[in-house]
Parts: sequence; C-alpha cells; structure tokens
Amino acid sequence: MRRAFAVPALMLAAPSAFFAAFFLAPLVVVLIASFTGVPHPKSLTFTYYVQILADRYHWNVIIVTFRIAILTTLCCTLLGYPVAWYLVRLVHWQLWRRLCVVLVVVPLVTSNIVRAFGWMVLLGRNGLVNRELMDAGLTVHPLRFLGTELGILIGMVYVLLPFSILTIGNALARVDAACEEASADLGARPVATFWHVIFPLTLPGVAAGGIIVFTLSVSAYVTPALLSDGRISVLSMLIFQQYSSTFNVHYGGALSIVLLAFTLIMVALANRVSERRGSSI
Amino acid sequence: MSTLLTIDTVGKRYGSHTVLDNIQLDVREGEFVALLGPSGCGKTTLLRLIAGFVEPDYGRVKIDGQDVTHLPPYRRQLNTVFQNYALFPHMTVLENVAYGLRREGIPRTEANGRAAEALALVTLAAFGDRYPREMSGGQQQRVALARAVVKRPKILLLDEPLSALDMKLRKKMQLELKHLQEKLGIAFIFVTHDQEEAMSMADRIVVMNEGRIEQIGAGTEIYRAPATRFVAEFIGDANLLSYETSTTGEIRLAVQAFATPVMHSNVPKRGVAVLRPEHLQVVDSTAAQSNSLCQLSGVVTDIVSVGSHSIIHADVSGHDIIARAMGLPSAAMRLGNVVQLGFDPSDLHLIGDCA
Repeated sequence: MRRAFAVPALMLAAPSAFFAAFFLAPLVVVLIASFTGVPHPKSLTFTYYVQILADRYHWNVIIVTFRIAILTTLCCTLLGYPVAWYLVRLVHWQLWRRLCVVLVVVPLVTSNIVRAFGWMVLLGRNGLVNRELMDAGLTVHPLRFLGTELGILIGMVYVLLPFSILTIGNALARVDAACEEASADLGARPVATFWHVIFPLTLPGVAAGGIIVFTLSVSAYVTPALLSDGRISVLSMLIFQQYSSTFNVHYGGALSIVLLAFTLIMVALANRVSERRGSSI
Repeated sequence: MSTLLTIDTVGKRYGSHTVLDNIQLDVREGEFVALLGPSGCGKTTLLRLIAGFVEPDYGRVKIDGQDVTHLPPYRRQLNTVFQNYALFPHMTVLENVAYGLRREGIPRTEANGRAAEALALVTLAAFGDRYPREMSGGQQQRVALARAVVKRPKILLLDEPLSALDMKLRKKMQLELKHLQEKLGIAFIFVTHDQEEAMSMADRIVVMNEGRIEQIGAGTEIYRAPATRFVAEFIGDANLLSYETSTTGEIRLAVQAFATPVMHSNVPKRGVAVLRPEHLQVVDSTAAQSNSLCQLSGVVTDIVSVGSHSIIHADVSGHDIIARAMGLPSAAMRLGNVVQLGFDPSDLHLIGDCA
C-alpha cells in the first residue's frame, strides 16, 4: 500500500517542486506586493487597486487590451480554420503538406522583435503595404497602421496564427471520416454536414486554440509595444513601465493581478461555452 | 417482385489493382441479399458503390429505374448501417436518429416523434436522451439501425454490422435483423465474411472473390451445387477430389483410381468432385456393398469431437479426407485404424475445369 503511493509521489515531487519554486512563488510575491506599499513597503493596502479600477485611463487600457486580444482570437480562428482545412483536407501530396506545416511553424522560431520590426517596415507611411495600396488606387493618401489598433492587430494575428492552425488542424484530422459519410448517407449536403457534424466535432479544438491565442495576445508585450508607436498602451506595457522605469513593484503587481484576473474570467467563460457545446466529445 | 436495384456490368480499379470486375447484380424489392467473400474480395467496395461513396470506372447503377451512377450519396434513396456504426458522438441517441429526417426539412417535433418510433422498433425507446458513448456495442448497433431505417429507405445497406459483437449477441442480432427486415419489407444488402451468417439470414447469397462474382444463389443451392472450386471451399467444409470421365462415361476419381457410375449425361470431362464431410460415413465393407455405396479406405489421422458431431480426418492414399459423423466417435474410429468411408455417388458434385 505504502509502495503504491511512494512511487507516484516521488515521480510527482520534482515537477511539483519546480512548479512551486518557479511559478507559484513568484506569483505569490507579485500578489503580496500588489496589496502592500502605502504608506510604507510592508503595510497592507488596496491603494493601487483603487487607483487602477477607479480610473478612466486604466479602464481604457484594459478595454483596449481585451479588445485587441478578442479581435486577434477571432481573426486567428477565422483565418486559421480555412488554412487548417486546406492542410488537412485538400492537400493529398504528403510532401507539400509537410512543407506547408514547416512554413507555418518557422515564424515561431524567429524572434518576436525581428518580426515586429518587419511589420514596422511593411506598415510604415512609405512601407510596402501603403505603396501597394496606392499603386492599386485603393487609397490616395498613405494609411496609418503604426500606432493604431489595426496595426497591432495585424502584427498579433501574424504572430499567433500558427497556434490556431495547428490546434484546429489537429481537431480536423481527428474527425471520424465515417461520421461524415453517415451524414451524407442520411441526406445531408456537404454544407449541412460541415455545420452539423464537422464543425461541432472540431469545436473543442477551436476553443483550445482560441484560449491559447487569447491568453498569449492578452499578455503580449513586444508586438504591441513596437507597433503602437507610443500612441497606444496595453496592460503589459503599463506593467513593464512600472517594473522597469519607475521600479514600483506594488503598482506593477496590482496591474499584473488585474490582467490575470480578467484573463481568467474570460477563459472561464469561454470554457463554459465550449463545454456546453462540445461536452459530448 | 420487381427489380429495385440494378448493377449493370460495373468495374473499378485502383491503380493496377482491380477491385471490381464486371459485376452484374439485380436486387428485388424486399429481398435480403448477402455479399459474401473473404476480406479484400471487393464486397465492401461494391456496397460503397451502391451507397454512392465510390464511382465505378465503367457500368451503371440503377435504383428503381433511375440511373444513380453519378449521384452523390445524399441524393440516393437508400441508407447504410456502417461497420463501426459511425454514430455522431456530439448528439444524443434521439438526435442521431432524427438527423436524417431533419436534413429533409421535417420540423423538429415531427422528426423527434418518428425517431422515437424507430427507437421503439429496436427496443431502445427509453434511451433517447443518452449519448452514444454511454451505450454498449449492441445498443449502439441498434441505434445505427434505427437511424438508417427511420427514413424508410427502399434499400438498406449493412456493412458487416455484426462483426464487432460477441458470438452470443451476434446470433441474437442475426435473428432480430431478419425479423426486422421481414417486418419493414425493406431490401437488405448485407456485407459479411461469415458464411454461416450469410446462410442463416439471406434469401440470396452473392459469393465474391478477387473482385468478381463467383456465384449468386440461395444458400442451400450454393452449398449443394457450388459453381466454382472457390465457392466449394469457402462455403462449408469440402473434400475436393480431382476426377476425369472415362471413355465409357464413368467418373474416375484420382484418389484410389476409383470409378463411379455415370450420374449426368453432360458431365464436364475433367475437374474436381466436391464431397461434403457429412455425406461420408464410416461403414463396414459388406454394408457398403449392399447399399451400393462407393468406398474409400483410409487411415484415421485425427478425431475431433465437438459433442453433437465428430470430425474424422483420414489419410486416403495421401489425400486428407474429412468425414463428419453424428454424435460421439464410435469404436471403429480410433487413431491409426483403417476405416471404410462410404458415400452415395449421387452426393458427388462435379465442377468442370473450365468453370
């Protein structure tokens, strides 16, 4: 009996210790810091939370942060689904599929900063995008991308799209072909089969990809920082400022906890929705 | 009864591999047809071709007089019970069964009512709210059946629907399926590799091998008079002995240079004679002569008793001959004993070489 417990306990000990030391402990430190600081470093206070949640500017930043994250998630899902469909369903040539998957994954191994700079060049006043738009006669004056939410959105979707494609592709590949045949056999046209069988069966994958993209985009720093051109702030940028420039760990901590709390609420909501719809998988 | 399904000289190849070769088959209304053959014989491809999942390279498929060769599955008036049931895991049992009706545009309440009726038909009326994963294999099988018959198709295709069930349940389902088919009057086309299953359920059996139809006929007919060597070996046990006819018209079996009287006027010159084990009996030679039985003498090499009958393997001049005797083995049947195996020459079935 004892042995039966000893082995799994030992196997769990190392990851548990690692998790506690490098994940839980820092979080606790941040949590404690967020509730202290005024009037002196060790006194308990809600000052920073009040400062954040009672202030319009902060609410604005929170709303911008989550608006960009939600739009990024939507765009990634809407763009990722057809790409995943193409890779899983339409490509029959194994070599080309592998090459495509490599092309999807390769951006993930290059630096975020390099990619953000790339977009700065492309999206600038005289960048390639504006030049093409003007050459095509779609616009007379160069459009502003840098420093707009659209610019940040473009950069974020580009960075996070692979996560959507890979998770949705995985879900698509798992759909039992026999279920589709059964649907056609029962008189469903291909579009009906998609909406009634394929899409519901991939919904857990879509939700999982969405949650990954959402959490990554809500906490993204490099892409919004570089593409905001100093005009737009998201929470991660405020947090970075507090820790790196003003060295106010209490204020920065409170901002971090606010971000974490809002993110958890959103993820919990998404989980509930996908659980209800996809519970039967 | 009129012809419901016509398969007119259909063929299909994948690369250099011929899966179906010149298939011709008619299925009448309300008929129970089994497609029987070893794995890879093309029976499942033929079924998928009827359902519309496979298009033939040549030939046509007609249902009720309408050419459906190039119609997609969702426009054909037939339904399928898939091998692994292919139930929709994200829908309840009732939703699964109502699915086909809903896709026809039938309102939800009516569709659910008819689905509940179909579930009652397979004695699962109380299970509508469950999900497929909460049910046993046998129950899932019934759900698949209810889902396929709810639209009252004229033809129901069944792709080895019983292969995943254990022996006892399978026997039970065989009877149930047969009764359901009689009750509904739907034509069943049933794919199986189990010859007993085919014999016990089907009105007609289509024996297939390597993409070709070897023989079509009632179970008893196929058993009694197999058209080819393959059919003789595939359906039941058989002793195959090569023969030729002598100038005087006698049949000479290769085994023990043995001659029997002529039985038919137009017997193929040479070929194999099929002798079923149950037609061979262990006799003593005097009794054999008085009953005008032919005899083979051999040495008993193996006895297998399964209670209700015994199977005797005998070495007859180098040929392994199988005989089946009712009941437990008698005293004469002992390993190493020389026995006389008698048979009535009219029980021999001859298959010509060119067949």
